[in-house]
Amino acid sequence: MLGNYFRKMTGTTQSPPRVSLAEILWSWLGAFLGVAAVAYINYGLLDQTGLFLLVGSLGASAVLIYGAIKSPLAQPRNLLGGHVISALIGVTAFKMLDPHLWLAAALAVSTSIAVMHATKTLHPPGGATALIAVIGGPSIQKLGYLYAVIPVGAGALIMLVVALLFNNLAPRRRYPEFWW
Amino acid sequence: MSDARDNADICLDPDLDLKEEDILEAMRAIPGYLDITPGDFKEIYRLAFQHALKRLNRDVRAAEIMTKDVVTVNPDTPVAEVALAMGRRGISGLPVADAENKVVGMISEKDFLSRMDVKEPQNFMSLVANCLKTKGCVALPIKTALAKDMMSSPAITVLPETPVRTIAALMTARGINRVAVTDPEGRLLGLVSRGDIVKATRGRELSC
Repeated sequence: MLGNYFRKMTGTTQSPPRVSLAEILWSWLGAFLGVAAVAYINYGLLDQTGLFLLVGSLGASAVLIYGAIKSPLAQPRNLLGGHVISALIGVTAFKMLDPHLWLAAALAVSTSIAVMHATKTLHPPGGATALIAVIGGPSIQKLGYLYAVIPVGAGALIMLVVALLFNNLAPRRRYPEFWW
Repeated sequence: MSDARDNADICLDPDLDLKEEDILEAMRAIPGYLDITPGDFKEIYRLAFQHALKRLNRDVRAAEIMTKDVVTVNPDTPVAEVALAMGRRGISGLPVADAENKVVGMISEKDFLSRMDVKEPQNFMSLVANCLKTKGCVALPIKTALAKDMMSSPAITVLPETPVRTIAALMTARGINRVAVTDPEGRLLGLVSRGDIVKATRGRELSC
């Protein structure tokens, strides 16, 4: 019994193969352009207005939508659905449980995962989006539910547009696998 | 089963034949990062293969493969005419049906051979051997016989919805080469021969 339990921790298979150099370069360039687009708008255009677009979880999304574009987790439904749903859940958790931030943080992430599963929008960066809603400090907290639209929804949307335009330039890439 | 395994190209055993290195090689051939481990892929492959087997080996029914254009004779047809009909069509057996088209028996080469005193094994060469030892025609004893005198009766029949699998087992168990397909009242609808089963299988027999 116990032996079997620990044996399960040894793994059963091996790591998938390394991708080609071309794939590495396409991933690099895509992520550069995607994050550049969001960051440029953030620092170049919005800074004076007090708004912002750049949240940490978009960096995680870049891994998927430029680096693992075939993954179900990287498809538009998951990207947009996962971020927006998780943002709403994160804001709700903060509003309901502040100042018990430890509980708000745990509930925000765990509930986001459950709801993303249920809605077939699982997107790992969504967990970060939910967490940031709780721990992001005053600048995030004062946004309230606007957080789900700007920065999260708008940021994800800009990254999606770049992914669509860029990934399909590569001869051996196509994106998305599915929309909905 | 072991014979079928020799046919490796149409008969992959999902557990034995697919190596993890094959999967890794296939994954390398697909550009881009695949979000799956070789182990998970193997599991999907195994289950998908089993599912495909089940689908391909679904129970085909007698009605789907039977020959509908069946030559029949009456119980009172002289065997000379029966032999002529079988020879013309190049068939080795046919059903005997009464006026209401109900199957009352089957008549085949084996029935002829046994009535012509051919001892086991009842086949054409035994007949030739028998013939060469006899004066005159070995068919003389049955010259005046009628179909009903020689037919195997009652006929072994199946219903249209009988699975082909069951028919194959029936043929093996009873040592017969064809069964008549009838409605529940025994009226003839068609005939399933061993050849019909072979044709219906068309190399899809992946039950290994």
